[in-house]
Amino acid sequence: MSTISQITRDEWRFWQRTKTATTILLIGILLTVISAVVNTIKMEDVTHEREHLQHASESRFLEQPDRHPHRMVHYGHYVFRAPSPLSIIEPGVDAFTGTSIFLEGHRQNSAMFSDQRQASGMTRFSSLTPSFLLQVLVPLFVILIGYACITREKEAGTLNIIITQGVNLWHLLIGKYLALVTSGLLMLTPLIAAAVWATARGESLMLTTSFIVGYLLYILIWSGIVLTVSAMSKKSSASFATLVGLWIVLCILVPRIGSSSAVIIAPSPGKLEADFAVLDELRKLGDGHNAADPAFEQLKKNLFTKYGVDTVEDLPINFRGTVAQYSEKKLTTVLNQFAEQRMDEELSQAHIARQFGWITPTTAIRSFSMMIAGSSLETHHRFLREAEKLRFDFVQSLNQIHQNTLDYKADINRHNDDKAARVNSSNWQVLSEFSFSASPATTRLSNSAPYFVQLLFWGVIVLFGIRAAVKGINQ
Amino acid sequence: MKLFTNISREASFLFKQKYLLGTLSVVLLLSIFSVWSGLSEMASQSSTIERLQEKDRTDRENVLAHQSNYGSAAYYTFHLTYSEPSPLAFAAIGQRDVYPWKHRVRMLALEGQIYETDADNPELSFLGRFDFAFLVSVLLPLFVILLLHDIRSSEREAGRYDLLVTTAVKQKYLWLPRALVLCLSLALVLLLPFIIGAFISGALLVDVLLICAVVAAHIVFCAGLIVWYTSIKLAVKQSSTQIASVLLSAWLVLTVLIPVSSDVAINKMVTSPKGGDILLLQREAVNDAWDLPYESTWNAFLATHPQWREYTDMGPSFEWKWYYAFQQVGDQKASALSQAYRQSTVNKDVLAGQFALLSPPMLAQRLMSSVAQTDTYAAMRYEQNIRAYHAALRHFYYPLMFTKAEFSLETMSELPQFSSYSTK
Repeated sequence: MSTISQITRDEWRFWQRTKTATTILLIGILLTVISAVVNTIKMEDVTHEREHLQHASESRFLEQPDRHPHRMVHYGHYVFRAPSPLSIIEPGVDAFTGTSIFLEGHRQNSAMFSDQRQASGMTRFSSLTPSFLLQVLVPLFVILIGYACITREKEAGTLNIIITQGVNLWHLLIGKYLALVTSGLLMLTPLIAAAVWATARGESLMLTTSFIVGYLLYILIWSGIVLTVSAMSKKSSASFATLVGLWIVLCILVPRIGSSSAVIIAPSPGKLEADFAVLDELRKLGDGHNAADPAFEQLKKNLFTKYGVDTVEDLPINFRGTVAQYSEKKLTTVLNQFAEQRMDEELSQAHIARQFGWITPTTAIRSFSMMIAGSSLETHHRFLREAEKLRFDFVQSLNQIHQNTLDYKADINRHNDDKAARVNSSNWQVLSEFSFSASPATTRLSNSAPYFVQLLFWGVIVLFGIRAAVKGINQ
Repeated sequence: MKLFTNISREASFLFKQKYLLGTLSVVLLLSIFSVWSGLSEMASQSSTIERLQEKDRTDRENVLAHQSNYGSAAYYTFHLTYSEPSPLAFAAIGQRDVYPWKHRVRMLALEGQIYETDADNPELSFLGRFDFAFLVSVLLPLFVILLLHDIRSSEREAGRYDLLVTTAVKQKYLWLPRALVLCLSLALVLLLPFIIGAFISGALLVDVLLICAVVAAHIVFCAGLIVWYTSIKLAVKQSSTQIASVLLSAWLVLTVLIPVSSDVAINKMVTSPKGGDILLLQREAVNDAWDLPYESTWNAFLATHPQWREYTDMGPSFEWKWYYAFQQVGDQKASALSQAYRQSTVNKDVLAGQFALLSPPMLAQRLMSSVAQTDTYAAMRYEQNIRAYHAALRHFYYPLMFTKAEFSLETMSELPQFSSYSTK
């Protein structure tokens, strides 16, 4: 044990002496600290802003004057997606999806105003988020610090001396490995601090812990890759070229090839194209504004038998409200069916891109990180579903008021006597509060499991790599 | 002549090295993949637009067959607008995956519709695409570093440096041909797939040459920087790997740090109204109009459309002209905010263009998407086209509604077509 820690300490001492490694390390730590601070401030602002907008939108709805209930159906309501606490480290798709939706009757609008659409376009490759730094840049820093950790000893001829002195080769490698891992860990500390902050903000401890464990594993993997390549190479220059090549391929190329492939393998026709099919279906359902539409003949007959009357005027309820309710329900079923189909398409594209986690640990950690942080595509989809549920509830409640509270004759006569065809504004209380929070811890943990397995797979690969390197040196 | 013999000598040396051939073939494969995936994505976008055009036309015909007045015809018919990918869009997808390139609008208030996006899968946009522009802007410098960083130091490490320098007539005959051969072969493997791709998609020769010039300029910049750095005193003492580390850090600064900090700076410099506020304002205006006396709608409407002053008398029941007038008024009320919003997008883009001068990779990226018409500017122009087309729809319908013209499908056949408003 003491040999190992001795070797680790020696490596550190060497880094301090040559200064290059310490410079890189300092830059790495500085960058992660800055990004963690900047991102935390930004996300806090965003959270407050969206909460504020949510409240403003709700009170505006409640403050509306007496009106025809159907007018409120079209007046509509806004909902905003609050980011999860761990977004301060991994904002995920947040910048690429709209963060607010306008909810109104008869329509499912898409989320609007994504940050990227209002951005300078400078952050398409890189971004100042802790996750980008840790997933893409920290591996490069570990490479720059450690590419020569074994080849240096080979080139100086000290490796043979160390071995002939009776030092176990495994101990030597583990010692060097620990030195590399500690350098990576130093760059991880700002993330740990941010994760603690997120826990204080109400994120479950189990989540933040596994978040850190995932990144720890990622550092272990990259340190292992650096060690293996350095141990297998004869010269520092060869080790350097191989590692930088690997970094380009694994951190930059493969993830993007993954997303380009997903588009080609599973093309998604997009919302617009589905809209035609939706419209086709909807026209068959009849227009809910027009109670005379033949599509509602059966509904009318059923009501006549139920209440034992012969005319719409004799019904104890407002038939126009009934039709609005009936058609909104049918229409929503159709809309949801297409919305679900679209979400499935997006998910299957994402799944293809995520399979590239078997080819690069960067994709694995990215998927894992988004899942745990609650900033993945799945979370956005859940937001869409919850917003839709709210939409359906308030629209149907208003339709119910239309049916039960508003007199049919006044309703029919609304163009002549607008004032009589209104209901009291206290009815607008039917709108329930909307507060979006990411999925519960257990869901996020179980969703992230496949990507953790990918990371473990990379851990095993690295172990095999180190073993092969040991064999190579022994020969 | 001298230079040529030098070049052919260097070429014959260099191409015997396996690692060089390996690197070049990897670059060739990457270039092929980027071009192929770009081409197939743009082909699928074009065919999507074609399918949509067909569906849009039949859908509108079906709807119009059931209408009896212009008001409901305008209410129930949607109109497809689209931004056709330019022949070079395959090389630089640019902002096309963030901004919409297809949109359906109605004659209702435009501000309520235009921010709807049928955007691409956000997770894929987040991961980013592997297009030719990415290869050129982000990866190309890394390839040049890999190929050129040890141009001097490898000779030094092999102990041949002093011998070479003393036997050469002039130093520049020694390093220049070698750098030239490496850069030319890199340019060749990068550009060959691109040129074939451009030929397949039928791009203009000028545009292809422009892109080639951007690629060449980026290579020259990177190679120049490296050759310069390896020649200065500081680098003489450094090993190949130390030189490469320094160059990698330079890449990091130019490709990551400068763009990221410019983004922060730009967001501080440009204040933009919130998109949500435009929608809110427009919605309040349109919804309140139902409760307001007719005059208030008409006054606001006539301020911009005085020609309909004599046609505003209202009957006892609902009238479409009034409905569309308050839709128009809703747009007018949100207009200042909406313009400020667009202006801030333009301002950000202009600033980004200036900041990009500090970062050649960003500059290359921006120039390429500008040539390929996939930049923010192109997206804004598409939005402008939608606005122009929407205005044309109003221009078409208003006389029919205000004069209470008899509905006829023949008149409807003169409905403006988006294709005549789609400027390049």
